[in-house]
Amino acid sequence: MTALHFTEEQRDCLQELVNVAMGQASDKLARYLATMVHLQVPAIKLVDTQQLPQHFAQRYQQQSVSLISMGFFGDQGLRGEAIMLYQLANVDVLARLLEYSDDDSSEAEMLTDISSVLTTTFLNGLAEQLDNSFSYAAPRILSSRDQHFADKLAATAQQWQLALQVDIRYQLTDYSFHCDMILLIPGEAVLRLRQMLDQILASF
Amino acid sequence: MQLDWLLQPLLSQLNSGVLVLDAELRLVFINQFIARRADVQPEDVQGKSLFDVFTDVPQAWLQRKLQGVLALQVPAFSSWEQRQYIFKLPHLRPLSSDSQYMAQNCSMLPLTAPDGVSRYICLLIEDATDAYVYQQQLQQSVARLQLANRTDGLTGVLNRSYWQQQLSYEIQRAERYQHPLSLLMFDLDKFKQLNDRYGHLGGDAVLVALCARVTTLLRDTDLLGRYGGEEFGVILPETDLTGAMQVAQRICTAVAGQPMHYEQQTIRASVSLGVAAFTAGQSTDALIQQADEALYTAKRQGRNQAVAWRAVNNEYLKKVK
Repeated sequence: MTALHFTEEQRDCLQELVNVAMGQASDKLARYLATMVHLQVPAIKLVDTQQLPQHFAQRYQQQSVSLISMGFFGDQGLRGEAIMLYQLANVDVLARLLEYSDDDSSEAEMLTDISSVLTTTFLNGLAEQLDNSFSYAAPRILSSRDQHFADKLAATAQQWQLALQVDIRYQLTDYSFHCDMILLIPGEAVLRLRQMLDQILASF
Repeated sequence: MQLDWLLQPLLSQLNSGVLVLDAELRLVFINQFIARRADVQPEDVQGKSLFDVFTDVPQAWLQRKLQGVLALQVPAFSSWEQRQYIFKLPHLRPLSSDSQYMAQNCSMLPLTAPDGVSRYICLLIEDATDAYVYQQQLQQSVARLQLANRTDGLTGVLNRSYWQQQLSYEIQRAERYQHPLSLLMFDLDKFKQLNDRYGHLGGDAVLVALCARVTTLLRDTDLLGRYGGEEFGVILPETDLTGAMQVAQRICTAVAGQPMHYEQQTIRASVSLGVAAFTAGQSTDALIQQADEALYTAKRQGRNQAVAWRAVNNEYLKKVK
């Protein structure tokens, strides 16, 4: 397990890349969603996937949470799964955000649509920073307004050794909207990511 | 090795639909998969707006998604599970599917021309009809199993465990909102004699006919269940004792008033009924017990009648015991 850990330099480098990707994403999203998008600079953290379900179960105590998953694949063995967690009082927020007011989109469709937009916009920026590019699998709903979401997160997370936890708080003018994003990355991809970070560090 | 020749045969033989749109959402290319299923000639539709050629796509939604692909330069997706299809195309399972149109997974991918400026979108359409059909069949099976799990095999009314579970829910609801709730238990009179005279099949036929007749006298929200061999219960939400007694009288009259028929034989049957109203704090078992006691009194008083539970019933029972 220790073999997968990042050095402080590697971690700082990744944090910087994530920050840049976030900045780009918030700019693009603000234009697309026609509202001010404030993305809090995320604290990234490498965590053991076994701890993740409990962490989020505590954060969303007794509340029902929707989980959306989106797989991503890059060159040089970089791959993983992005998980979005939403806790929504109502879907009207999403409908207004996506401007789907005149359409009969289901809650499930709106959730997958917004997840797709948020994750791919950020991940494309991150891939660019890593001189890579990602292709994506269609988003899937792992759990919909489910109080037992932690079990489902555990089932997904156990396939991955390490999780890159990126908590993003999206704040949008006129909307109260919040979600968490977690990137789950398998061990061998973490090794590749470390090599890429080392290359970037060496070039400075 | 020069591989340019691959592109055309590959695109035309690909078992997925490929449509390429320019930034104004005009069709630049469609492959054979789409052309044949939509019954259009690629050269006829080239340069036309997507929405002029495919007039029945969900325009507002699709336009918004495609705008996102162009603006953010990220892929977008649509799954048959959320939206069965985008394009109304025929599929190749016309007999085994209850849907007329091909279920589709669609990927909307951003493309940039070699000039580095011109933006395009590729719509990739995959046929998901098989998955859709399997899911429909699965859902139907689950629905059938759920129904079978709730109903009594002979009479088709609720079975005891499900009925009793519903009674607990109704009691909780009545307790919480302080609404009236009544319970009616009834039993076919002299069922053993019916069985002896007409055989067990005859007895079964009477039970089936009895349930059918009682069902016609109930509201949609009333719940009829088979409690035991020839004993049944009716949960009457939003009903006080007086209302429940009216229902009981109606059932009593309807059963005795019209004979039943089994293999050209006329069978006269009657029922005895006991009625109890829920009182705050009462348990499911206690309420059933009261209705049962009232039913017992109706039997003792000569059958073919309805009796409401009263505290004195209890005393009377204790005395005769």
